[in-house]
Amino acid sequence: MVGKHYRRLLEQCKIRMDRFEKEYPAPREDFQALLKERGVSRRDFLKWTSFMTAALMLPPIFKPMVTRAAENFSRLPVVWLHFAECTGCSEAFLRSSYPNVDDILLETISLEYHETIMAAAGDQAEKCLEDCIHHFPGKYVCVIEGAIPQGLNGQFMRLGPKGETGVQIGKKVTSKAAATICIGSCAIWGGIPSARPNPTDAVGVSKALGISTVNIAGCPPNTVNFTGTLLYFIMFGAMPPLDGQGRPIWAYGKRVHDFCERRPHYDAGEFVEQWGDEGARRGWCLYKVGCKGPYTFANCPHLRFNDHISWPVMAGHGCIGCTESGFWDTMAPYEKPIHEATFGGGERTVDKIGTVLTVATVAGVAAHGVLSAMRHGRTDKKDGTTTGAGKE
Amino acid sequence: MEAVVPKKHWTVAIRINHWAMAFAIFVLIGTGFLIAYPVTVPGGETWQKFSVGYIRFVHILFGMFLALLFLWRVYLAFFSTFRADWKDLLAFTNIPNTVQQIKFYLLIDKKGPPHTGLYGPMQSLAYLGLFGMVFLIVVTGIILMGAGYGAGFTALLYGILKPVERLMGGLAMVRYIHHVLTWGFVLFIVVHVYMAFWYDAVLKQGTLSSMVSGYMFEKGDH
Ligand code: HEM
Ligand code: SF4
Repeated sequence: MVGKHYRRLLEQCKIRMDRFEKEYPAPREDFQALLKERGVSRRDFLKWTSFMTAALMLPPIFKPMVTRAAENFSRLPVVWLHFAECTGCSEAFLRSSYPNVDDILLETISLEYHETIMAAAGDQAEKCLEDCIHHFPGKYVCVIEGAIPQGLNGQFMRLGPKGETGVQIGKKVTSKAAATICIGSCAIWGGIPSARPNPTDAVGVSKALGISTVNIAGCPPNTVNFTGTLLYFIMFGAMPPLDGQGRPIWAYGKRVHDFCERRPHYDAGEFVEQWGDEGARRGWCLYKVGCKGPYTFANCPHLRFNDHISWPVMAGHGCIGCTESGFWDTMAPYEKPIHEATFGGGERTVDKIGTVLTVATVAGVAAHGVLSAMRHGRTDKKDGTTTGAGKE
Repeated sequence: MEAVVPKKHWTVAIRINHWAMAFAIFVLIGTGFLIAYPVTVPGGETWQKFSVGYIRFVHILFGMFLALLFLWRVYLAFFSTFRADWKDLLAFTNIPNTVQQIKFYLLIDKKGPPHTGLYGPMQSLAYLGLFGMVFLIVVTGIILMGAGYGAGFTALLYGILKPVERLMGGLAMVRYIHHVLTWGFVLFIVVHVYMAFWYDAVLKQGTLSSMVSGYMFEKGDH
């Protein structure tokens, strides 16, 4: 049974797609032909549509719409900006062992501007960017990878032939975009560039530019979360519902710990105590070697990476919490269960401090007890009355 | 010699609340540390074991129990028919008394400040602090609980508290605050138990037994 709500949504989706096909430029590539060329069978493609529809938390009646959106994917003009980052997110999206549908989709994407992979350089590249802003105002999607340093009035980062700062470029491009998508931790909240001590005062895009963004969290994020969000945008003309950190709920609504294949070992009290021990060989829970799955919202256990082959916990290392804001600081050290950089850093954990304080308090009250016995005890003997009118 | 007369201090409700809270907090500290540092159970098959699952269950059960006890205690503070003690909890606002009390505790002076309310000034401060800590640990506990369970009343509460999670800096920080507060409780217990014994010994008014019987003993013309 498909609810009324979804039927109405499907109608809206159809109307939106008709409009999209009319308003946006013709597809750059014939997607189906490309699939054939790359050896993706019709059957594989259908499997992929089912998978994607389910991942987007839509009922199966949306499968034809997902197909249609995929075929129209290359109509959507995209500008991809790089700020302070390592380009690992782009790398993660571009590299795969053999092309699957998501990778082919990303290949067809109508990238008007992408600093890493475009052929144009210098002024030509600059012209591509300006043309896109000029030709598709309010239509293109701006994807940003990387944090924006704010220190020295933004001068820690100057880019391009005109030497504009990150803030200037960001403002110019996002102000005319239909939506801004942040890819990876750096663009979302600052990532590594903003980890303590953050010398360049790097912050996320939404903070630096004062805009709201759709955040595809992760370091790097999963390709599916990005393509899915773009497909959603093509299908519904709006960005999917977001959580408090601006992450699409369909992808980041659930906790890693609750969908982890090692979870039964957690509940059973079966933990890897140190790397390479019997527990590690038997695939036990990685909590005690620092897994941050209990504090991390992401769909990694479902989707996995690289063609759904594996993901960190499956490979044998704990989750490091890379989809959460501030994880470099709040989750470190990654191979211990509770974070250390408490007061003054170093190896002092809250538990060491707590133990010392407790011992000190017990010693303190014991000393106080002895002193009290001396002082109040003598009084009792002398005048036979108790002291004080203060009351418990 | 002056007569020693018993005077009612604590209602049954307060006494039950006190000991239930104490018990819950002891259980929560124990199970809490077992969650933070779980013990590996080596033998047997995975499906035969559920140790951490049970510990979490007990922790969350007593956590909700503590939450309800806390609500009850706050209700009593304002609406107890015997003695609504919310005003007594503000005793520390009397600065000269507070200073005198500190001198008394540091054994500089032999007399504490005069009786004003149910609690001494430092005591009121400690209990307000305790209530603050209980409130925070309940809120962070419910967030931790909601993060892993998405249905019913828990989901409702979690939905309301999600912005608090964001404010605290994500679930990892919520857990960290929950963990740090646990040490706050450990320290509170050490001092609280000591002070109860101390008062019992110094004032000889039956402080220790009062939380069981409800009565303290006072000298004078009651
Ligand atoms: C005096 C009161 C409490 C103490 C001392 C306490 C202590 C702790 C500690 C030490 C942990 C482990 C944190 C870590 O992983 O480092 C914990 C976890 C937790 N606590 Fe509490 N807690 C208290 C009250 C509560 C309350 C009121 C609730 C909820 C209603 C609650 C729910 C939880 C949950 C859900 C977890 C996480 C368990 C998990 O990871 O599965 N706690 N608590
Ligand atoms: S490996 Fe990590 S995510 Fe998986 S059950 Fe253990 S703690 Fe949770």
